[in-house]
Amino acid sequence: MNAYSNHIAFWMDGKKVEIDFNKDTQWRPTTTVLNYLRSLSHHKGTKEGCAEGDCGACTVVVAEPDEAGHMQYKAIDSCLVFLPMIHGKHLVSVENVGSSDNMHPVQQAMVDCDGSQCGYCTPGFIMSMFSLYKSAQIPDREEILDALTGNLCRCTGYRPIVEAAAKSCLGNSKDHFSPQESEVAGALTAIQNSGNIEIKTGENTYFRPTSLTDALNLRSQHPSALLVCGGTDVGLMVTKKKIQLPLVLDLSGIPDLRAHAETPLGLRLGATLSLEKVKLLSKGRLPALNDMLAVFGSRQIREQATLGGNLANASPIGDTPPVLIALNASIELQSLAGTRVMKVTEFITGYRTTALHPDELITAVIIPPTPAQVTVKSYKISKRKDLDISTVSGCFWIELDSKDLVKDIGLVYGGMAAMTKRARMAEDFLRGKPWTRDQVEAAMDHVEAEFTPISDARSGKEGRRIMARNLLLKFWADTNLPLHV
Amino acid sequence: MSDRPMHTIMSENTKIPHESGAYHVTGEATYIDDILVDTRLLHGHVYTSPHAHARVLGFDLSLAQGHRGVHAVLSYKDIRGENQMGPAIKDELVLAVDEVIFVGQAMFLIAADDEATAIAAAKLIVVEYELLPAILSIQAAIEGGEKLQPSRKIAAGDSSTALANAPHQFKGLLEIGAQEHWYLETQVCLCIPGEGQEIRAFSSTQHPSETQALIAEVLHIPKMEVEVQIRRMGGAFGGKETQANHTAIWAALLCQATRKPVKIRLFRDDDQKMTGKRHRFLAHYQVGFDALGTIEGLEIELNADGGSSTDLTMAVLERAMMHSDNSYFLPDVTIVGHAWKLNLPSNTAFRGFGGPQGMAVIENIMDRIARQLQLDPADVRMRNYYGLADRNVTPFGQLVENNRLYMIQEELLHSSSYAQRRADVAAWNAQHEFLKKGIALTPVKFGISFTTSFLNQAGALVNIYKDGTVLVNHGGTEMGQGLHTKIRQIAALELGVDLDRVKVNATNTSKVPNTSATAASAGTDLNGAAVKNAIDQLKARMKEVAAIVLNQTIIAGEEASLPENIHLKGDMVFDDLHPARKLGFTKLCEACVFHQVSLSATGFYKTPGVYFDRSIGKGRPYHYFSFGMAVTEVQVDTLTGHVQLLRADLLHDVGESPNPGIDIGQVEGAYIQGLGWMTTEECKWDDKGNLLNHSPDTYKIPNVQDIPADFRVALLQGAPNPNTIRRSKAVGEPPLMLAFSAWLAIKDAISAVADHQLEPQFQLPMTNEAILISVEGLRQQMKRMRGPRSLQ
Repeated sequence: MNAYSNHIAFWMDGKKVEIDFNKDTQWRPTTTVLNYLRSLSHHKGTKEGCAEGDCGACTVVVAEPDEAGHMQYKAIDSCLVFLPMIHGKHLVSVENVGSSDNMHPVQQAMVDCDGSQCGYCTPGFIMSMFSLYKSAQIPDREEILDALTGNLCRCTGYRPIVEAAAKSCLGNSKDHFSPQESEVAGALTAIQNSGNIEIKTGENTYFRPTSLTDALNLRSQHPSALLVCGGTDVGLMVTKKKIQLPLVLDLSGIPDLRAHAETPLGLRLGATLSLEKVKLLSKGRLPALNDMLAVFGSRQIREQATLGGNLANASPIGDTPPVLIALNASIELQSLAGTRVMKVTEFITGYRTTALHPDELITAVIIPPTPAQVTVKSYKISKRKDLDISTVSGCFWIELDSKDLVKDIGLVYGGMAAMTKRARMAEDFLRGKPWTRDQVEAAMDHVEAEFTPISDARSGKEGRRIMARNLLLKFWADTNLPLHV
Repeated sequence: MSDRPMHTIMSENTKIPHESGAYHVTGEATYIDDILVDTRLLHGHVYTSPHAHARVLGFDLSLAQGHRGVHAVLSYKDIRGENQMGPAIKDELVLAVDEVIFVGQAMFLIAADDEATAIAAAKLIVVEYELLPAILSIQAAIEGGEKLQPSRKIAAGDSSTALANAPHQFKGLLEIGAQEHWYLETQVCLCIPGEGQEIRAFSSTQHPSETQALIAEVLHIPKMEVEVQIRRMGGAFGGKETQANHTAIWAALLCQATRKPVKIRLFRDDDQKMTGKRHRFLAHYQVGFDALGTIEGLEIELNADGGSSTDLTMAVLERAMMHSDNSYFLPDVTIVGHAWKLNLPSNTAFRGFGGPQGMAVIENIMDRIARQLQLDPADVRMRNYYGLADRNVTPFGQLVENNRLYMIQEELLHSSSYAQRRADVAAWNAQHEFLKKGIALTPVKFGISFTTSFLNQAGALVNIYKDGTVLVNHGGTEMGQGLHTKIRQIAALELGVDLDRVKVNATNTSKVPNTSATAASAGTDLNGAAVKNAIDQLKARMKEVAAIVLNQTIIAGEEASLPENIHLKGDMVFDDLHPARKLGFTKLCEACVFHQVSLSATGFYKTPGVYFDRSIGKGRPYHYFSFGMAVTEVQVDTLTGHVQLLRADLLHDVGESPNPGIDIGQVEGAYIQGLGWMTTEECKWDDKGNLLNHSPDTYKIPNVQDIPADFRVALLQGAPNPNTIRRSKAVGEPPLMLAFSAWLAIKDAISAVADHQLEPQFQLPMTNEAILISVEGLRQQMKRMRGPRSLQ
């Protein structure tokens, strides 16, 4: 059923807005939400700072009802999101939050704390703060910083902005949006329940199915269609390479792919679960994954980006592959022909290549429980600690036997080769040996011998060589706390 | 506006938010890219050189010109005026002629219906090149390149004899990296044609008068035909002092060619690739000192990467040389500066304007002296501070007056518990092998004024309307620094009226002509004084009228009110001698119009007594000095190079602050911007001259997680600045250099790896990679000293 043939619908400015891509030809299905907003005379507040999701000047909030029907407000980078991705959602931009003669509490706090100087990043910060406000939490400093990590400011030094967030986000989510929320939730649910989207303009074909079966059918009919869900990587093809994607299969409308469950095999995470959601789910039970996701992108990016996308991308500097390999995770692939399950190690076959067949979709990642005797730790070295791509990353596991000799060890590195790669020589060297400083320092030479790192914008090869060596020493120090910190 | 009771009258201590704050937070603030233009607006696109150095053998624009939706494709041949856009030295082409000299140099301009059409047309341009060798590093330039301009020298005493006689000495070199401005709003200009030759340019520029002048010269039209306006910039930091002109000129050329509105907004990556940065420096030094660390002789050679043209390089180099002393008395010193020509975009102004590079060298020298003598670096610094009564003349001959260093140091040592924390850091380091802490205290002394003395001037136009509202125009531009907020306060205080009556207008060349750039931190000093000058004239006229009006109501025999006894205060006009005689401000304005008295006045200001003779390197180039000091404590993970700022205490001198909220914002913002330059911001080029870090993906400015966990920022109290508007001081640039305390705290932490016995490899920026390499170097040296460790 294609209830929304050639058009999409969403809520904005207090009403339902529809775009018909065959009539409203100034917009394409791959037009970003940022460019859409900026094309409207009354939505110029949202700014473009970088067009790659690194600065947050374009932050908007999208809201939709959760299972219980309560509106959830998420900050996202509008520069990376295509219009059909906000189908069935409430799009809130800075103008909607408040006006200069009737400011929202987060806006008033920002003014009172001297939180704006040049003002260009300010609308983006306001939107991140607005989503924090609507979460109805009383955030601690760490949570405030996390909510603002995706917004760059070049003027203030951030202190007054953090203060403004602390001053305004006090656990009360009530504001002028509150009275309309149930009405909006109802309208959005009706839109979301109305089925698939299929947009065909002269230049673009864009499918956004709402069921896995429809998605698999489309995948088999259009194997060359570009798969997208959050758009945090694909979006760059449009914004930076200026490529107008002619054929897109958007997986963001399929609830089944967002499911998660405990299974006998382990935690099963739907492929299009947002990384923010995975971060929450991993808290406490998968610390190595949680630690990595804590420094993965920003809140805006994690709200959009998905676990499946990060794996399908198969970038050598992807943050989740080393962790998923170390956690012995499996990946579930489906096509009309059936389901395959394979280890993540087998799935990634080379530099940005995978074992995914042209008619398959990644449907889930399954992470088995970590045995109690195994210790797993993840590390990420980047120039800036947060919202930066790994220079070198690592996820390591170790199991000691009863005599404290190394029974098993795995050293998975990112950023050191064309794909995620294990330091096998060092692993072999350490197996059966005591887990001591001297053995580890000797093994560091084997780590070094394993790789021929490159020099690039992030680091020279000398830096990468030292980083790869040091991470093993750090792992040793971390497993020998508190003596050697 | 009607006269009201005095319930919202501003006092000097009232907290005043940024004048645009409410517009910023609601998205109502309009930037150039937000201006609504009708649908005929054309998209301007700049076609740039892909080569660092090449001869242009020929080009063909015909296919691009014939592309559907293209309105103009221009080359240098289409320039009607001068093909030059250098601000002072005319050595920078608007569009390349027969040679390209850096990657990103503008060659052709395209105006098209939209971005996609312009990009498609650009692909149809055919150019034939012959590649030529390129100079891409300062070292290569020194070895086989050329200088942009003759070298400069500043000297005092006899440095070579002093060095020869000094009991201790060392030499060294320091590499100082570039910094991208990373203003949130990229370079942008919208040009709208008017009648005849008229062009209105909405340009995100720090220097509207120069933008106007260059547009006129390049388009070959009189300056009166060009109106440049800027309401606010989305950040500038020096990056829009001269290089905003480029985008404005290109947009104006396309506007002239098409007679249609044209906008050029540089895409982030293009902006980073095409525009200049903070100058890279390579510094060589040799220092001699006594057993207590007092400097006796010093020689410094500063080599600046000027990029492909002069731009502001000579002024930047000059300021670097004049800040190589920072806060320290140098009795026998020679400072030489060379500006090298490289095949890279022309480097330009950036907050601090050379000062940071000059000061980095001496701050690292202080640190090395302390390590060599095993003294606390803070003690070595204090020993070398300029004296209050003697040892107080700079190498360029200016007396250091109103020296606040001792006042600040005393307060900061106490408030930061520096001595205790240094001991705590040492104790902590003794217990930790891989995590190391470091702490450092560094001072700042920064000279305020353009060193090109004639630039120290400003103009204003103040209009008062019949309803008692006041529109202030001045030559300064608002880039977030709060200039308009302060000017508005100054105007309201000087006129004695409610803040709500005063508005500061967009900066416009048709209101105030022939202005200087808003730069050198001097925006409020200069423009505030010019506004005061205009208001003084208006007040004199208004008092005459007030006397007439007040005297109309007196009873015969009573003493008449005289203009000199009349005061404007609290939205009212009073006769001091007869307090009962008063008049509302609005009524007075109405009366002025009725009495045929003009309520509009222009104001002017020039900084008194500043001069500098370049030929001998001596003078009094600065109106005054700003001072500040900071203590920063860091923790470095020596295995990952990750740095955490544990605490920073900043104490800065702004004289009497007209607006502490804004001044503190400047101080902490500058510190964090300086921190970025010194830690995570790195510009690297490949061997073809392509910038590798051309987007925030790989160019990392500090984010909210990078600020000090404990951030204490204070303004020095009780130190009014004589002879400036409202006894305040410039604040924009000086605090950037407070971040040296973080840079040297990192060095202190690295140094702890070898128990402070070895001099660590050090540079700017200290990225995590540089930290790891430095730590690795120390560990290898220690290993060699200890002998090989045996395997158990």
